Amino acid sequence: MPELGRAALVATLGLALYALLAGSIAAWRGRRRLALSAQNALMAAFGTSIVASLVLVSALIRHDFSFVYAAQHTSRELPSGYTISAFWGGQEGSLLLWLLILTGYATAVLLVNRRTARDLVAWVTPVLAAVTLFFAFLLVAVATPFATQLAPADGNGLNPSLQNPYMMAHPPLLYLGFVGLTVPFAFAMGALLARRTDERWIVATRRWTLVAWTALGVGQLLGSHWAYEEVGWGGYYAWDPVENAALMPWLAATAFLHSVMIQEKRGMLRVWNHLLVVMAFSLSLFGTFLTRSGIVSSIHSFTQSSIGPWFLGFICIVVFGSLALVFARLPLLRSKTRLESLASREATFLYNNLLLVALTLTILWGVAYPILHEAVLGESRIVGPGYYNFFLRVFGLPLLLLMGIGPLVAWRRASLRSLGLTFVWPAATALATGLVLLALGAGASIPGLIAYTFSAFVLASIALEFARGTRARRALSGGSWPAAFSALIGRNRRRYGGYIVHAAIVLLAIGIAGSSAYDTVAERRLERGDTLVVGDYRLTYRGLEEREAANATEIRAVLGVERGGERLGAVEAGKNAYTAERQVSNEVGIRSDLLTGEDLFVIAEQVNADGSVYVRAFVKPLVNLIWLAGLVFVLGALITLWPDAREQRRLATRYEGAEAPARP
Amino acid sequence: MSVALVLGALLAVACVFLVALPYLREPDAERDVLEEPNELDRRRLELAERRDRALGALKELELDHRTGKVSDADYRALVGPLRREAAEALRALEPRAATPERVKVERPG
Amino acid sequence: MARKRNPARLIVALSIAAVLAVFLLYTSIAGGGTPSISPSELAGQQGIVSLAGRVQPGYKGDSYGTGLRFRLRDIKGDSTKRVIVLYKGSVSDQFKVGREVSVKGELRNGIFVAVKDSLVTKCPSKYTAKKST
Repeated sequence: MPELGRAALVATLGLALYALLAGSIAAWRGRRRLALSAQNALMAAFGTSIVASLVLVSALIRHDFSFVYAAQHTSRELPSGYTISAFWGGQEGSLLLWLLILTGYATAVLLVNRRTARDLVAWVTPVLAAVTLFFAFLLVAVATPFATQLAPADGNGLNPSLQNPYMMAHPPLLYLGFVGLTVPFAFAMGALLARRTDERWIVATRRWTLVAWTALGVGQLLGSHWAYEEVGWGGYYAWDPVENAALMPWLAATAFLHSVMIQEKRGMLRVWNHLLVVMAFSLSLFGTFLTRSGIVSSIHSFTQSSIGPWFLGFICIVVFGSLALVFARLPLLRSKTRLESLASREATFLYNNLLLVALTLTILWGVAYPILHEAVLGESRIVGPGYYNFFLRVFGLPLLLLMGIGPLVAWRRASLRSLGLTFVWPAATALATGLVLLALGAGASIPGLIAYTFSAFVLASIALEFARGTRARRALSGGSWPAAFSALIGRNRRRYGGYIVHAAIVLLAIGIAGSSAYDTVAERRLERGDTLVVGDYRLTYRGLEEREAANATEIRAVLGVERGGERLGAVEAGKNAYTAERQVSNEVGIRSDLLTGEDLFVIAEQVNADGSVYVRAFVKPLVNLIWLAGLVFVLGALITLWPDAREQRRLATRYEGAEAPARP
Repeated sequence: MSVALVLGALLAVACVFLVALPYLREPDAERDVLEEPNELDRRRLELAERRDRALGALKELELDHRTGKVSDADYRALVGPLRREAAEALRALEPRAATPERVKVERPG
Repeated sequence: MARKRNPARLIVALSIAAVLAVFLLYTSIAGGGTPSISPSELAGQQGIVSLAGRVQPGYKGDSYGTGLRFRLRDIKGDSTKRVIVLYKGSVSDQFKVGREVSVKGELRNGIFVAVKDSLVTKCPSKYTAKKST
C-alpha cells in the first residue's frame, strides 16, 4: 500500500511537470490541443492526489503502524474522528492536504473557465502547475508521508491538546484559505502573461477569493477559540509568529478584496491590485513556511526539518518572478482614470489599503526581525505583544473608523456639505455612546473607549444604510418593510452583504476591546470551602472529582458560582492525564453568560496532593461577541457570494463577444 | 501488494489517457491554434467594460441619491456627465444611435 | 489643486512617511525587541532580561508557595554554566526536565529572580501547538 501512495505522488509530480512545460509552450506558441492536454494533466493530478490521500487515510484508520506517519500521530485508543484528522496533524500530511486542496481548486477553476477566456486559462495553467510541482516535489523527495518501518505495537497518539473539535476543523479551513489564494494569484499572473488589460481575471476569481478569504477568517477564529478553551491561559491570541502567519495573508487579502472593487468600478489601482495579490499569496506561502520549518522560536515550534530552505527558495522565486512580470507589464497596467477627490469613496478605499498594508508589514517585521537579528548578529531577540498591540491600535482603530466612513461617502466626489449631513446621525450616536460609557467607567482604558466609540459610529452608519436603503426601495416599488428589506439585499448583494461583514468585524472589535481592556483577574490557593472573589462573582471550592475517560484520567476541581447572592450552578476546572501519550493537559472551566456576553474563566493552575487547589479566575466582558462575530461574518460572506442571475447574464454578454465561441 | 500494483497500473493508464485525450479526440486538427483576442476583440472588451462601469456608476448614483448620500445639487452635477459617458460607450459599441436621454438605466434598488 | 498631478501618489508617499515615522518613534522608545539571553551570557547583565535555557534534573519547590527552584543551562553549545532560577506563578503542564523554557527576570545575588507568571515552556519538537502561558 505505501508503494501505491508513493507512486501516486510521483505521478502527481510528473503530471505537474508536464502541465508546467506543456502548458507554457502551448500558451506561448498558441497550441490549442497542447493547452487542453496540459489542463487535463493538472486535473489528473487531482485524481492522483486523491489516491495518495486515500492511501494515507486508510493507513490511519487501519492503525497500520508500519506507516511511520500513522505511528507518529495516532494510537489504538484514539477516537476515530481524531484518527482521521491526524491526516493533517503532522508535517507530511499537511503538505499532502495542501497538494490535495490545490489540485482540487485548480480542477474546479479550470473546468469552469476553460471554455471561455482560453488565452487566459492557457497561461493560468502553468502558474498553477508550478505551485503544484513545488508541493509534489517536497512530498516525493523531502518529506514523504509514506515512509515505512517495522510496525510497533502501538502509535504515539495525538497530542492531547489537539483532541478537540476545533482543531479538527481549523487546519482544513486555514488551508482552504491559504491554498485558495493561489487562484487569484495564478489568474493575475496569467493575465499579465497573456498581456490582457481587461478585468476578466478579476471577474473569474472574485468568488474564489471570497471563499478563500472567508475560510481563512473562520479558520483563524476557530484557532483562537481553540486557544481560548483548550490551551487555556485566559486569552485567545498571543501574537505568536504562527498565529501571525495566518493573519498576515488574511489582512493582505482583505486589502486585495477591497481594492479590486475599485478596479471594477473605476478602472483604477491596477498595479496595486497585482501587487496586493502577489503579497497575499507570498504571505500565505510564508505562513506555511513559518509553521512548517521551525525557523522561528515560537511556542508553536513544529518540527525542525529540512523543508525550510526549499520553502524559502520557492517564496523568493515567486516574489521576484511576479514582481519582475508586473514591472515588465507596467505600461499595460497604467490606468487612465485619476483620483478626483481626497474625500471620495475611492479615496477611503485607498486609505483602507494603506492602513491594511501598513499593519501587515509591521506584523511581518515583528515576525522577521528576530530571525534576521539572530542570523546577522547571532543574538537572540524576542518581540513581545506590546509591539503588536501598539500597532494594532495605531492602524486598527483608524481602520475601524474608516469602515463607518466609507459607506457614507459617495463615489468620485463628495461635497463637504452632503458629508456633514450624512455623518450627523452616526457621529451623534458615537458621541452619545462615548459619553455614556465614560460615565460607566470605560475611561479606565482609553484605547478601549475609543474602540467602543468608533464601533458605535460604524454600527450606526451601517444601520442607517439599511434603513435608508429599505425606505428608498419601498418608495420605489411599495410593499411592506420586510419585503422591501429583503428586496434591497437581494438586488444589492455585494453591497449589503459587505455591510454585514463589516458589522461582524465591529462585533469582533467590541469583543476584543471588552475582553482585553476591561477584564478582571483574581487568584489564590483554596482549601475545601474557601472562596475566591473575582469581579461580581464569588467562587466556592467544593472539592475534587476524578473520573476515567476513553484515553485519559480526568481530575476536576468543582467550584460553586454565585453572583449578587444568586446561585449560578458550578464550574469545573482541572487536568487530564493521557495514558498513551503520557501527557497532562490543562482543562479550563468556562461559564458563559448569554445575556451580557461575558465569560467566567477558571483555571486550576495546580492541584495539590492534600486536595487544595491553586485557582486563577478571570471575568472577560463581551468575549462571546468574538464568536458571534464569526457567525455574522459567514452570513455576510454568504450573501455576498450568492449568485446573481442578472449579473451573471450581464458578464456573460460582456465577454462572449470578445472570446472565441465554444468548439464542438 | 498486488492490489496496489493493479490500482497503480490503472492510475497510470488513466493519467496517460487524460493527457492524450485532446489528441485522441481530434487526431488531425487543421485549426490547432489557441484563439487569442485580436485587436478588435480587445477594443470591444474595453468598451464593454467602460459601458458597464458607466451604467454601474449611474445605478449607484441613483441609489446614493435616493438614500440621501448625494444631495440634489451634486446629483444634478454628476448625472449629466455620467449619462454622456455611458451613451458614448454604448455608441462606440453599437453604432446605432444611443442618445444620453435614451440611456436605459436599470431601476436601482 | 493641480488636477494633472495624481493626488493618489501624494497620499501614498505621505502615508509611507507617516508609517515610518510612527514606527521609528515606537522602536526608539520601546526598543527593538527584548534580548533573549542564555545562561552562559547572563553574568553581569543588569535589569530585566529574558533568559532562555534547558531545564536540568532536580527541581523542587512550589511555584504557588515559596517558589519553584530549577536550574537552566544553554540550549545550544557545551557551556557548563548553570543558572538557578527562583520562580513564582503559573507553570505549564509541558514543564519537564529537558524542555526548553524562557523566563523573564533579573539576576540578584547569583540567583535569577523571575517575574511572576513569565515562564514559557516550549513544546517538544515532535508535537504540534500547545501554548503554555
